[in-house]
Amino acid sequence: MPVDAKLSHTAAMILQAIHAGHIYGFSVMQMTGLPSGTVYPAMRRLERDGLILSRWEQQSIADADQRPPRKYYRVTRTGKATLEAVYQRYPLLEKMIPSPQSALKVEQRV
Amino acid sequence: MKRLRFHSASLAQINIRAASLLVPHSDRLEWTAEWNAELYHLCQCRPSHTPHADPLEFSLGAFRDAFWIRCNHLRSDGLPILKAGSPARCGLLLTTFAVIGFLACLCLPRARTALLPIHSFRPTDLVMISSASYAGAQLPTIPLENYQEWQTDTDKLFSQIAWYYPSAKNVYVSHQRTARLSIALASGNLFRVLGVPGPSAPGRSPNGASLILSRAAWRTWYHGDPNLVGRTANIDGQPVLIAAILPDNDGQLPGQMEAWLLEDQHALGQLPPKAKGFVFARIRGSAFPAPRGGIRVMTETRAGVTPCFECISVAWLAHQPTSNFFFALLLASMALPATTALPLGDYRDRLALTVHARRWAFLAMKFLLVLAVVYPASIALAWGPSLAGSTAVFLQVATAFLALLFAFRWILQDQRRRCPECLRLLSNPARVGQASCNFLSWNGTELFCDRGHGLLHIPELATSWFSTQRWLCLDSSWLCLFPETRSPSPGMV
Repeated sequence: MPVDAKLSHTAAMILQAIHAGHIYGFSVMQMTGLPSGTVYPAMRRLERDGLILSRWEQQSIADADQRPPRKYYRVTRTGKATLEAVYQRYPLLEKMIPSPQSALKVEQRV
Repeated sequence: MKRLRFHSASLAQINIRAASLLVPHSDRLEWTAEWNAELYHLCQCRPSHTPHADPLEFSLGAFRDAFWIRCNHLRSDGLPILKAGSPARCGLLLTTFAVIGFLACLCLPRARTALLPIHSFRPTDLVMISSASYAGAQLPTIPLENYQEWQTDTDKLFSQIAWYYPSAKNVYVSHQRTARLSIALASGNLFRVLGVPGPSAPGRSPNGASLILSRAAWRTWYHGDPNLVGRTANIDGQPVLIAAILPDNDGQLPGQMEAWLLEDQHALGQLPPKAKGFVFARIRGSAFPAPRGGIRVMTETRAGVTPCFECISVAWLAHQPTSNFFFALLLASMALPATTALPLGDYRDRLALTVHARRWAFLAMKFLLVLAVVYPASIALAWGPSLAGSTAVFLQVATAFLALLFAFRWILQDQRRRCPECLRLLSNPARVGQASCNFLSWNGTELFCDRGHGLLHIPELATSWFSTQRWLCLDSSWLCLFPETRSPSPGMV
């Protein structure tokens, strides 16, 4: 996936939300306000294009808490590079969904 | 509140199970696991902390996910199954149209009767006599005087003969309520002739008449009263015994009657001799062979006039819409070569036998689906509205003929524009060559398969060396030119 890929605003929001630490589907939905019928297909596309990676939680951890295992997502190196390029296109994205790194930058500036 | 949320979660669970059935089998397990995990955590959230966490809403989103997966499900070759121009989408569209056509037929009572013939179980020796051929079978054409003469004169032809006259009468339905019903004044043997068991004898009314109600009229006017049979109805001031209620199948007779008033011959004789009605009769086995084709002509000389009547097999009449459709199909098949070229092109270039077989199977599937679309649609259009028999027949033949002709043309054109290997529509047409430089060359249009299976050359002018479109297979070395078709951009979200 090239770094200068043109993501739609929705896809960019989802990527930014995962980057900001919302690492499972429901949390991304809550952060972005997007419905489930949009978020999961979008995450599948991002995963297919190598911008994010998913992994299933270990069954033993889930068993210990007596709940089903959950699927977690994280942004890949390509995904991060793509996000940097996407910020040029959607400058408000970082403010809408601040990631820990960006929050740190703001603090340093202050 | 907790109880409401519990019900919502249970419903969401059911929805997710239903949605998982829509997901292709290979992906079902993973998607179901993810939905269930998310639903579990969603249900654990306190509603006050997460106002948007409605399990039911989440589960409805699973249907949207499932639909997306179904539409973008990747085959083993990496392309979505239901992509625009794919054979699956073509088949799905035609199937949808066919289902809509059948549902439309089922919703229209007359069209439903035409689609699902209910008269086919009638006795094979039962005929309807009409003076306006089979097209006028829905109209009353036989005067009472003719019927009365035939009762005595046609013993050798018919074992039984019955007549009914369509009329409208006021019926006292319930307290202070009178309805105007379409009632057939019928000879007492009508239902015995039709082969319907039960209400064939006149009742115990003072005047010897009895009333048979159709099931629809029973539901509409008497609200399905189970104790109605045996009571007395007041028809135009005359008390008449309600003898029976006909099942839906038996009540479908020409004239769309709501009830039948079975009377003796004396009462029928009070009607004007020229009053026209419907005649049903049972043919004697020895009179003439069983009416397979449907129509027999009976003539009678009377005072220098030779009226011509036709005996139409009721069982055959039931299959009239199907016969009309096959007639239209025959006409369309004959007219097709005059409207478009039939050859599908030259595809001999290195195509495997299985590829050819799949291509022909796809063509056959399209033909069958088009028939399944046009058949109910023509019936719904012609027999759905309350049109006269001849008009409905003409309308059905005309609409079926035109629809089939254009559909067949489309099928052939569509087939010619598809890749013979993957059966997807070819794209990116490019004009090649110049008409003025046609000597030992050619000019026309080239299309190629998105997946790099080959090129289709379509000549502008048919020549002796290039008379029809020609397919050129590309080997695997060309595939490097078509990599982008395998992965659509994430910007499509």
